[in-house]
Amino acid sequence: MEELRTLHLDQNEIAGPAVVTRSLTKRFGKITAVSNLSLEVERGEIFGFLGLNGAGKTTTIRMLLDLLRPESGEAFILGYHCRLQGIQARALVGYLPGEMGLYGDLSGQQLLDLFAALGARQVRRDYQAQLLERLELPASDLHRKLRTYSTGMKRKLGLIQAFQSDAPLLILDEPTEGLDPLMQESFYQLLFEAQSRGCTIFMSSHVLSEVGRVCDRIGIIRKGKLVLLSPVEEIRRLAARTVRVFFETDVPTGPGPLPDGYELLETSPRAWTIRVHGPIGRLLQALAGLPVKDLSVAEPRLEEILIRYFREESP
Amino acid sequence: MKSGLALMAHSFHRVRMLVLGMSGLLAGFQILLCLAAKTAQELNAFGQLSALIPDFLRQIMGPSVIALMSFGGVVCIGYFHIAVVGAVVGLAIAIATEVAAEIESKFVDLVLSRPLARHWLITRSIALLLGCSIFVACAMVLSTIIGLYLLAPADIIRPTLRLVRSQVLNLNALIVCWGGLTLAVASVCRRRSVAGAIAGLSALTTYFFDYIAQVWKPGAKIAWLFPFHYFNALHLLSSGELPLREIRILLGFAVGGIALAYLLYSRRDL
Repeated sequence: MEELRTLHLDQNEIAGPAVVTRSLTKRFGKITAVSNLSLEVERGEIFGFLGLNGAGKTTTIRMLLDLLRPESGEAFILGYHCRLQGIQARALVGYLPGEMGLYGDLSGQQLLDLFAALGARQVRRDYQAQLLERLELPASDLHRKLRTYSTGMKRKLGLIQAFQSDAPLLILDEPTEGLDPLMQESFYQLLFEAQSRGCTIFMSSHVLSEVGRVCDRIGIIRKGKLVLLSPVEEIRRLAARTVRVFFETDVPTGPGPLPDGYELLETSPRAWTIRVHGPIGRLLQALAGLPVKDLSVAEPRLEEILIRYFREESP
Repeated sequence: MKSGLALMAHSFHRVRMLVLGMSGLLAGFQILLCLAAKTAQELNAFGQLSALIPDFLRQIMGPSVIALMSFGGVVCIGYFHIAVVGAVVGLAIAIATEVAAEIESKFVDLVLSRPLARHWLITRSIALLLGCSIFVACAMVLSTIIGLYLLAPADIIRPTLRLVRSQVLNLNALIVCWGGLTLAVASVCRRRSVAGAIAGLSALTTYFFDYIAQVWKPGAKIAWLFPFHYFNALHLLSSGELPLREIRILLGFAVGGIALAYLLYSRRDL
């Protein structure tokens, strides 16, 4: 662990965001996969890129890596134009694709060696060994042919090849797909450690609980359009909370007209349920004089908020 | 450069068994032909074999059929027999469709997410094509020399090394030609099977069309458009002269295909 902390990133001297897209648009025939996408990912943050299947997440990532060419717009990685300076840009990236295309006749070690040789950054053997140990991929498995690997093992190998060059930017397409809970935990730790060393992480995910736990900021893409770009904490803060008010004695009438941002969901003689957008201070004023016994405030679950965006309930 | 070389080494490693197997088969075929020529010579059968050739075949093959019915001719069959031509063109197609296979398997995502220029995937395939064709050619020539050394009767007129070299150069030009053309096809395909089928069917069709065109005049008018028109190993056998013009044309096809492959691959979505 200590050795990991001593790894230093050769951060690119160019200042500015780690990832920038400007009006990025990609069409496949009549289908617009990504439409006018503009976003910025700051250096050192963990950015979650969310969306349903076919929303345009992988297409965006593949445009960043110059595997797909956009119809219009441009993208930059650590200051380098993804198309015109693609080699410099990709030299600073560790990438895990959503779907790992592997040749079954290679062994795990051969694959890691190949990608170490293809990269621009020196792979430290001790760091690679640590990754193998923490993701529980023993040497005996590494010498087996990839065709004998399970889905989870392939995923672990994919993560190791992405992390092993200790690149300043990690682009991970659904990284925990196929990993068991213990390995997911190890992966989150690797992610936080990479972030603490100054690494930026751009990850797409379906797992909303994962996003709430590890991401600093999220962007939601729906049908190729960015519908939300916000810090996770801000989303939580602005989301409606559910407040339940309990009374000592029966309160026969409702609370009367509530201020803006308050919505009465349910009433009974001894309890009201109110949805509150924003601070709850004004609710306390409205309750003055009533025999309030207790209040409970249910924090919004990120999943519920995000699902609303997925379901087109938001602008 | 380092990344490109690493990719080349990886690809050479992957095709090694195919190339070794193909080389072994073709080398074995050369030895077998030497043995067949020796047997025919001992039985004094070349004259009888010539008499058995039907007229239409004589018409197609021309006067070079006489050269074919000799010890040297039988030994040289290994450089233009339909099975050999099919095998080496098949090898060229297998190597040149690697770019489509990488897209199909999505291996290209992992490779090109590294600081590697796209052209390296085409350059790699060209290097592979040249390397493998040279290796196969060397194996064939070596086995011919060994076969002649071990099996040729002492008093027989053997095919000269120059003739064998010319035959193998002619065959290699054909391999490179089909490799280049296949590379152009593969650079726009998403599936190896599609690229292979297009190239393979084209090769097969044009091979037989070239034969038909020799006896069917309307066909002769367009036969010049196809590569096999310029692969005239029988003429080379009878004249002993390397057909430089034809080889240049075959290499021209290859260069055209390769240039198209670079252009198309650099512009496409992967």
